[in-house]
Amino acid sequence: MERPSIRLRRRWRELYRRSSIQLILSLSFTAAAVIGMVCMGLALFLRFSASTNALAAENSQRVLAQVNLNLDNYLRNLMRVSNTAYYQVIKDLDLADSSAADSLPAALELLYETDGDSIVSLAVFSQDGGLLAAAPLADLKISVTPSQEEWFTTAMERIENLHFSTPHVQNLFEDPDYRYRWVVSLSRQVELTRDGVIESGVLLVDMNFSGIEQLCKDVMLANSKGYLYLIDSAGELIYHPRQQLIYAGLQAENNLAAAGYHDGSHTETFGGQRRQVTVKTVGYTGWKLVGVVPEQNFWGNYGQLLLFFLFVVGFSVFLLVFVNLRLSEWITAPMKKLDRAVKELEAGRETVDFDAGGPYEVEHLSHSIQSMVSTMRHLMEDIIQQEEQKRRSELDVLQSQINPHFLYNTLDSVVWMTENGRTEEAVQMLTALARFFRISLSRGSSFISIADELEHARHYLTIQKMRYRNKFSATIEVEPGVEALYTIKLIVQPLLENAIYHGMDYADGDGEISIRAFREGDDAIIEVTDNGPGMPEELVEQLLTPGGPVASSGGKGSGIGFRNVSQRIRLTFGEPYGLTILSEPDAGTTVRIHLPALDEQAVRTYRKEETE
Amino acid sequence: MKRKLLLHLVLPLLGLSAFFWLLAFAPGASRQQTALLEMSVILREGDSTAASTLRKGMEQAAVDLNVELRFLAPSTANSADEQAQLLAREVESAASAILLFPADRQALADAVGDAAAKAAVVTLETDMTEQGAKSCVSVDNAALGKALARAAINGVSPGGTVLLLDSVPGNNGIRERLDAASAALRAAGRQVRLCPWTPEGDELAVALQTGDIGAVVAFEATALEAAAELARTNPRFPLLYGAGSSAAIAAGVERGRITAIAAENAFTAGYLAVEAAAAAARREPVSAMPALDFAIIRQENMYNADNQKLLFPVT
Repeated sequence: MERPSIRLRRRWRELYRRSSIQLILSLSFTAAAVIGMVCMGLALFLRFSASTNALAAENSQRVLAQVNLNLDNYLRNLMRVSNTAYYQVIKDLDLADSSAADSLPAALELLYETDGDSIVSLAVFSQDGGLLAAAPLADLKISVTPSQEEWFTTAMERIENLHFSTPHVQNLFEDPDYRYRWVVSLSRQVELTRDGVIESGVLLVDMNFSGIEQLCKDVMLANSKGYLYLIDSAGELIYHPRQQLIYAGLQAENNLAAAGYHDGSHTETFGGQRRQVTVKTVGYTGWKLVGVVPEQNFWGNYGQLLLFFLFVVGFSVFLLVFVNLRLSEWITAPMKKLDRAVKELEAGRETVDFDAGGPYEVEHLSHSIQSMVSTMRHLMEDIIQQEEQKRRSELDVLQSQINPHFLYNTLDSVVWMTENGRTEEAVQMLTALARFFRISLSRGSSFISIADELEHARHYLTIQKMRYRNKFSATIEVEPGVEALYTIKLIVQPLLENAIYHGMDYADGDGEISIRAFREGDDAIIEVTDNGPGMPEELVEQLLTPGGPVASSGGKGSGIGFRNVSQRIRLTFGEPYGLTILSEPDAGTTVRIHLPALDEQAVRTYRKEETE
Repeated sequence: MKRKLLLHLVLPLLGLSAFFWLLAFAPGASRQQTALLEMSVILREGDSTAASTLRKGMEQAAVDLNVELRFLAPSTANSADEQAQLLAREVESAASAILLFPADRQALADAVGDAAAKAAVVTLETDMTEQGAKSCVSVDNAALGKALARAAINGVSPGGTVLLLDSVPGNNGIRERLDAASAALRAAGRQVRLCPWTPEGDELAVALQTGDIGAVVAFEATALEAAAELARTNPRFPLLYGAGSSAAIAAGVERGRITAIAAENAFTAGYLAVEAAAAAARREPVSAMPALDFAIIRQENMYNADNQKLLFPVT
């Protein structure tokens, strides 16, 4: 099983091999440039977003600091009311003195009126929770037990402090208008004097919740996309712009977690949304102002800048692609031209322009290729010439193999006749031999007419019949018009030689050899038929196989004659031509010479090649 | 060459420019602001102080969802016919969404069906989803009736009589509360008397004089406020139970004139109703609305943190 990395590498290599150099250059340049740009852009963008986050955090902190200041002033104002009520009204008042006690409600009323917008009620309670005085309403509800209220118990437990409650509905006094107002209670333990005896009591200032709401609700954070809320130290909501929705359970806030945050900016994920949370603790009370800016708003704020950045990157990438395409096209143009020239050369075009121009390396390469092609062509011409010379040599060799072969045999016969006093026959044989050689020479030409070739065969047969004492008879038939056709010379005689040696050797006057020349379409056919013993198929195949083992039938002959004729025909006229042997044991043999039908004009071309 | 230049340079440049224009200037951004939706609220009765918290919830949702609310009420309280006319009129005036407090399910069936075909109709108190309304925002009326009955059973000895105020005649959610309470009281061995009640009439005062009534149960805020007011002037007023929450009702509970109330979060009901109607009008999916919670509040627990938030809206 091939590993994925290896498979990937293989595919990459395949792709690389299939791609053009221009494409590779373009892609490489573009990829390198894009990666560089994206990295640089990303770095700039991250730097910018970090700066924006820091700016947003700083902005939130500044806004929270301002709200904190306002809230602190508001609370200090209420604390001042509480201090005034305590130190200037209650502390030196002896409650046993009825006139002084009666002045307490009026004093509280006066204080209430000076800050009526912020205060819902002012009240003083004895240590057992009894109402001593209150403003503006003074009738305590029957159902209320002040000593059990949280603001009371807290004040009595921690006497040194002022205590701020969480928002609650003011439920102490009978209100004829059935008004139920949300308040934040500021309570403190006070010292009451009664008959000179100091006793504890509680001073309660109920702040109107709407005062806090006014301070917080119009705060602009992140172009109104953010908001601010206020919690106590335990995380209980004091103010939230969507407080009623949270109370109704229709919305949630991460206020309990925010109670654990230190002052400063934090990032949190709440309700599936990442947001920047800035916390500022309101001095003295332990309350915390929490500014919330959803992070998506940062993106919204500098979204256009981001888009502009994207556009610049996109446009730059486009330009890079375009420029790289053009650049790589310009760089690779000489190589492409060179490539085209090589392809033209491959296609066999004679004149190819290798001057591709371009830089030094390409120029050098094109010159080298041109030089190489030139050298190659010279070499090829040399090879062709050598091959041609070789062919001619072979032909000459093959042709030269005939003459001695026959000459020895004939001269042997003449010697034999002369020794036996058969002078006339010897003269006749020598005459035939002379004519035979005249045709063989043919003034050096390899091509003779079929008429001459058959005449040559006839002389040969004359000689052989004399040698073999008429053991066979021979006939020559020529189709009219065939005599005028041309052939390479001395192709019939070797066949006759074989027919005589192998077919007539054992004949006793009944041997027959016939030669028939005729035309078959564009071809000329010369058939040499004997009624000898014939040959097995294997022997026929051996005879016609170039370079095959030398065969013999009856111990005579080697088949060289067949092969010589066959090779000469094929070397001269090509593969379709040559010899065909039709033979069966005891059924005689027919050797068929297959030649092109060459007239005078056609044979000139061959003669011209021959002279060249 | 020109064609090549066009393909390679000009067209991509145009494409990039369009891309930049689309992204940078966000031509669709103005459409991203949700379109203002006109929503009509058809009440059962006009000028009810008991509905103030509900209205606050609706108004909060209207701000959040960019909805313009129009409050309409029949000139005669609980008039289904007038409500049907108002429905038809609002549909004609192409209101996109309608919130309806149905006075009578049967009388309004056709009108609601017709209106629902052209506008998003959401009902409160009374479920009319079978008649074509998209949703219903309500407590489980039967459960609320039973809870009130259980509270009354504690205050009335077996065999005692409980007077049930039939303040909203017709087939509606208030009637479902009454029927459930009646069944529960009878099952617990209490006598049940129905007392038709109208804001103008003195049926309750008359009924109280005509028998030994152990408790009175009102099933909606207006009747409960009126009964509490009667209890203020009548020291022999029997135990009073009811449904609804308002400052007057809270005062009644606090002063002991009302023994117990079944209070739902009216702010939530108002908010959710507008939200559901807006979603339906804007072809957004409207999820099935579960029944709203309610709580039985008495004098002793009315200032619990949760009950304070239920009875007295912050804003």
